[in-house]
Amino acid sequence: MKKFVRLTAVVLAMVLMCMLLVGCQSEKEAEPLVIFTWSDYLPQEVLDAFTAETGIPVEYTYFTQNEEMLTKLQAANGGTYDLVLASDYIIDIAIKEGLVQKLDKNIITNYQYIGEGFKGQFYDPNDEYTVPFAAGTPLIVYDPAKVDIEVTGYNTWWDPSLENSIVVMDSARVVVGMVLKSMGYSLNESDPAILKQAEEKLMQLKPNILALDYDTPHEKIISGECAMAFMFTPQAYWAVTERPELEVVYPVEGMGYGVDSFFIPSQAPNAEAANKFLQFILEGETAAELAMFTQYMCCVETAYDYLPEEYFNEILYIPAEILGETEIVQDVGPEATAIYDEIWTRFKQ
Amino acid sequence: MRRRAEKNKGKVSPALWPMYITTIAFIVLPLLYIVGISFLEKGDYFGVKNVVTIENYHKIFDPMYLSVLWESLKLAIITTVLTFLIGYPFAYCTAKLPVKWRGMVRMLLMTPFWLNSLIRLNGWIILMKANGVINTVLQSMGLIEEPLQLLYNDGAVIIGMVYALAPFMILAIYNSVEKLDWSLVEAARDLGAGPVKAFFTVTLPLSLPGIIAGCVLVFVPCIGLFYVSDLFGGSKTMLLGSLIRNEMLQARNWPFGAALSMLMLIATIGALQLYKKIAKTDSLQGIM
Repeated sequence: MKKFVRLTAVVLAMVLMCMLLVGCQSEKEAEPLVIFTWSDYLPQEVLDAFTAETGIPVEYTYFTQNEEMLTKLQAANGGTYDLVLASDYIIDIAIKEGLVQKLDKNIITNYQYIGEGFKGQFYDPNDEYTVPFAAGTPLIVYDPAKVDIEVTGYNTWWDPSLENSIVVMDSARVVVGMVLKSMGYSLNESDPAILKQAEEKLMQLKPNILALDYDTPHEKIISGECAMAFMFTPQAYWAVTERPELEVVYPVEGMGYGVDSFFIPSQAPNAEAANKFLQFILEGETAAELAMFTQYMCCVETAYDYLPEEYFNEILYIPAEILGETEIVQDVGPEATAIYDEIWTRFKQ
Repeated sequence: MRRRAEKNKGKVSPALWPMYITTIAFIVLPLLYIVGISFLEKGDYFGVKNVVTIENYHKIFDPMYLSVLWESLKLAIITTVLTFLIGYPFAYCTAKLPVKWRGMVRMLLMTPFWLNSLIRLNGWIILMKANGVINTVLQSMGLIEEPLQLLYNDGAVIIGMVYALAPFMILAIYNSVEKLDWSLVEAARDLGAGPVKAFFTVTLPLSLPGIIAGCVLVFVPCIGLFYVSDLFGGSKTMLLGSLIRNEMLQARNWPFGAALSMLMLIATIGALQLYKKIAKTDSLQGIM
């Protein structure tokens, strides 16, 4: 008898466990749209508006770096996520690896309103796979009260007066790329000999580096922690809005440029909802709302009527004669990528 | 009772099945998977190729990675020593308090754990940043002109680590000091030992199991707590934990990441064995 009671208890416990696992799945009503991007990149209001209009709930999941996104997408074999928003060079790899499906232009009729300048990117020359979302140029911001020298560009970083006072992004490709730029090379150099030289120059920068920060370099310059920082467009905008006395520098050695775009993974469980969402955010008014939130360059032309004048400032819309030729970070292939990673590991010692 | 235990020898009670199933599914299999891929070659962009190699383990001995190991080890040792120096007097005094106060102190020690450690560490950043509480107070008192650089250096990282891990050391030592047989200390005093000598010849050796347990509890997580170094040290130093994360997520070199994880696992097992040996016990009860 005792044995029977014990067995029943065990079986009951197991049944309960199974029910718990099944219960998680059976509750779904409408199939949700799973969006995968950086945290705080899409405002909740816009996601709610999409749910209100279509009845499709949105599930927002995050990654912290492009490489992490690619790893997780590959581990899921192009499934799990319905819509991914990431950067140019990583989308290039994702498309090459067959992890991206074509957009349904029958649903996304608003595609025509995307500005010509944002179409035909190197990773998607025929505009089949991606919807450009935000574009910008990383800039140098400095505090004139703490910097006595003239700041012209990347080469200023090595000045001995800036000891322990610079913040740059925690990203091998961006920082090694800027060192290459300072030496007159391309951001996408893959020659090991040139990368070796760049590493030597980067190592000399180390005494001047206060911290490496990808997400919040603007906070470090606003709080007065650092004298100079290298940051993305919206971060530069927030820093200057918070402390107008801060100066923005357009590096003379040439500027980088980046586009973050949406794509639909090859095995997306709910690709239709993803296409509908893209159509939704390409409406002029919604696109304007998103642009005001992200503070990047807006890729949708019909949004311009809805954007206030102060949005078209000289951080987001750098005059063409100053901007000159920009360069996009591109995939440099597995061997060179490994060299970039090793340089970064050695730099962080 | 004994007869029943003998009868059931070699049989597994059905009540234990869920434990065995979950242990195998969530611990043994993933571990075997990691051991497996640590002996394979990295795929071009992702994953592994079916080529067996020991290159990943060989690579650990590259001076670049050895120095990452050394940095992690150094930080772990410094943190362990400091938490011991702070933790022992704290635990000793707590154990000497009247019983009702002891519970109170223990409670205060545990309360911060209700909050996520990242949030607690961000609290320190608010205190220590250039326009933070400490600098503002010192400046308004006229003690300093320019804000002090409190964050983004090695000292800040050590403060963060000690803060995050000290409670483990304190609780482990407290447990062993509290159970101590004080009549032995009294005997030592009766036989003429001064308070200092009695402490070093009786109290300290008797609380050794607690000290070792505390050291293991602090030392082992130290190697994995890379986010403290990222937050307080400005990500400038690569530690073993952040190297593994980088290899797994950014460099997409899973085999090497797996080999490094194995190294960490072996180090942990080594620390536990050392604990068993010094504490002269076969169970890990003191640190569970």
